[in-house]
Amino acid sequence: MKKIWLTILILILAVALVAGCGGPAQQSQQGSSSNNTSGTSTPAKDSIVIALQGEPTTLDPQYPDDGNMRAVTDNVFERLLELDGKTLEPKPGLATDIKAVDSTTWQLTLREGVKFHNGDPFTAEDAVFSIKRIIDPAYKSQIAGNFSTIKDAKVVDAKTIQIITDGPDPILPKRLTKLDIVDKKYVEANPDKVATAPVGTGPYQVESWNRGVDIKIKAFDGYWGNKPAIKAATYRFIQEGSTRLSALKAGEIDLAVNMLPEYVDQLPEYKTSDGIEFTFLRFNTLRGPMKNKLIRQAACYAIDRDTLAKSLFMGYANVAQGQMAKPGYFGFNDSLKPYPYDPEKAKQLLKEAGYNGEVIQLVSERGRWLKDGELSEAVASMLTDAGFNVKLTFLSWQEWLDTLFNVEKAPDIMFSSNGNELFDMDRFYQAIIKTGGPQSTYSNPEIDKKITEARNEMDTQKRLQLYKELSQAVYDDPFGIPLLNLKDIYGMSKNLDWEPRQDSRITVYEMKLK
Amino acid sequence: MKRYIIMRLLYTVVVILGVSILVFIITHVIGNPVNTMLPLQATDAERAALKHQLGLDKPLMVQLSEFLSGMFRLDFGKSWWQQVPALGIVLHKIPATLQLVATALIIAVMVAIPLGIIAAYKPGTILDRVLTTASLIGICLPPFWVGLMFVLFFAVKLGWFYTSGYGTIRHLILPALTLAVVPMGHLAQIVRFSMAEQLNAQYSTTARAKGASDFSVLFAHALKNAATSIVTMGGMDLGRLLAGETAAVEVVFGWPGFGTLIVDTIGRQDFPLLQAEVFLVAVIICFINLAVDISYGYFDPRIRY
Repeated sequence: MKKIWLTILILILAVALVAGCGGPAQQSQQGSSSNNTSGTSTPAKDSIVIALQGEPTTLDPQYPDDGNMRAVTDNVFERLLELDGKTLEPKPGLATDIKAVDSTTWQLTLREGVKFHNGDPFTAEDAVFSIKRIIDPAYKSQIAGNFSTIKDAKVVDAKTIQIITDGPDPILPKRLTKLDIVDKKYVEANPDKVATAPVGTGPYQVESWNRGVDIKIKAFDGYWGNKPAIKAATYRFIQEGSTRLSALKAGEIDLAVNMLPEYVDQLPEYKTSDGIEFTFLRFNTLRGPMKNKLIRQAACYAIDRDTLAKSLFMGYANVAQGQMAKPGYFGFNDSLKPYPYDPEKAKQLLKEAGYNGEVIQLVSERGRWLKDGELSEAVASMLTDAGFNVKLTFLSWQEWLDTLFNVEKAPDIMFSSNGNELFDMDRFYQAIIKTGGPQSTYSNPEIDKKITEARNEMDTQKRLQLYKELSQAVYDDPFGIPLLNLKDIYGMSKNLDWEPRQDSRITVYEMKLK
Repeated sequence: MKRYIIMRLLYTVVVILGVSILVFIITHVIGNPVNTMLPLQATDAERAALKHQLGLDKPLMVQLSEFLSGMFRLDFGKSWWQQVPALGIVLHKIPATLQLVATALIIAVMVAIPLGIIAAYKPGTILDRVLTTASLIGICLPPFWVGLMFVLFFAVKLGWFYTSGYGTIRHLILPALTLAVVPMGHLAQIVRFSMAEQLNAQYSTTARAKGASDFSVLFAHALKNAATSIVTMGGMDLGRLLAGETAAVEVVFGWPGFGTLIVDTIGRQDFPLLQAEVFLVAVIICFINLAVDISYGYFDPRIRY
């Protein structure tokens, strides 16, 4: 008998032993967070819980291109200029004033009485250091591309700095709204701590980062500006959308990002804002059937964008206004309207073009953007209905990226999406339209000339006019089809009061509890 | 026995080496992680610079030899995204997964073995059929879906547990239960099957004829003989769960374990991290197999090494 029980005991013990391994390690993990409230059902009155889609890779705000990190660092760090959440125009931040000295020199006056979270005063040295750090090739910032026009920065006096660009750069103020200011002394003294224990000047400071579990921030007592209404916030990382929905319904969290249109009815409360992503089809105008302008125009008439927005996205998407911009983007052309849905006209144009039914490749991917696969399938079937012989291929994200940048081997039509974070049309034209741009399958010397002219034009009105002409030009001779601007859907608890922003930033300092 | 274990350990080294080289080659052939790391609008110069920075412009053989020499020092390099040593990240995530998997297996064993024995003891009865069908359903249900249903009922509707998160027993129960469903089905079936086989064997009939009690036949004779298949199945389940099958459940419950890490790593094409993960999984699976094989000798004295 003894042996029998021994057998069973060994079986159970073997498993229990493995279980034991988890114990101490878990405790040590918990040890780093003094007051673990992750998952607590009702947050205290002046603190909130926010569910992100994933954990930030680092909290060094100058290094990666990471949306989960921005959700935290946008509250912890500040920029020389800030973006207005409604108008998308730059406004004073750590700099109270910016002016162009000459065509390549900008002068900024810095705010006084600003302190970092560790007590260090914010100085002109910190501002210059932050700018130099992000453009230093050795630092390999993933967002350095936003600042590629900046050549140098220098201290003029205690409260003035100058930024020097490699040519006229009218977008510089907008670029600065993406450049987080770090503490020079702290970064130099603690190179290893920058990624995990960030020190900024923002309204909140990081209290703890319990890896894998949560990040906590609390209001910074020495903040120079208005004290935020929310005293503390906890970020949790919940990848799965339906789990974020459940957590919201169970009252465990107050705000959840990236909710699906299908969930809206179940959410306690929700708000939407126009997102920054524009889905579009890119034509290969350099070779193949899409080289023919008539065939490209036919494709533009073949897509029923209203139906896509209403049925596929249940209304949580806006039809792009014939361009890759919405009102508020610098260069938005309000006289442009999308090509109307007219399959008969498409068929007629195809006939005129002498299209003989040759295969048109449409390359897409699945799972990167909301309903990207479904959207591509719908588009393919609309093109087929209008007389195109479309072959739709789905690639993995990796293959898709390689195809996107391998302009030489570009398919006839490529499904893509573009998030213009500077809200200025320059980058779109540089990357997607200009001959030789990294994603460009388009070439027109006159348009190229205008793009360069616009980049160097310091007169705002003239530059705006150039972009209006450009958008009209790539509309008449289509580079592709701007499809939809997807809306951001935020799930919220009933007592949270916050207006989502046009730039998709999650600003705890602008939130209140009812 | 000693010789057997040494041979098996050597064999383990070969397997780990083979798997690591294979993963290295596959990841490097599939695509260019530089594109994943930079924003879509980055310039060609930015791409080239990052490629150089990551050492991806060196010949593949040079990269491979650097990787292998690092591996022997247990140095997989820094994670490209997190900028800290890759193996450290993996080791940090393993305890949470172990905790989840172990709890799930304990639940599975505690439920499946008694049920399987009861079903085998009364074959063909309604009880047997219900148990067999239930275990089959358990195997077929996707854990992802089971998890969501558990969350909706036990967390959202009843509020007994948290929908997601990590740290307390109220966070642990639902994901562990979800994860237990499939192994529970497997184990119940294998226990039922092998116990029935043993109970029908000659020696059981002999034991009964000699007047041994049902209890004694079941536990003293049959269970021990059935144990080899049960341990094999348990070992396989344990290996599969640790190797990332927990991923779906971890994702549903926002559990900060190895499974979520692997999903994330693949998405980000973080080669050093991916290689450290594969290495560790290979090591774990090899050792589970070794432990299972060695245990055979205990359960079945006829097996000698």
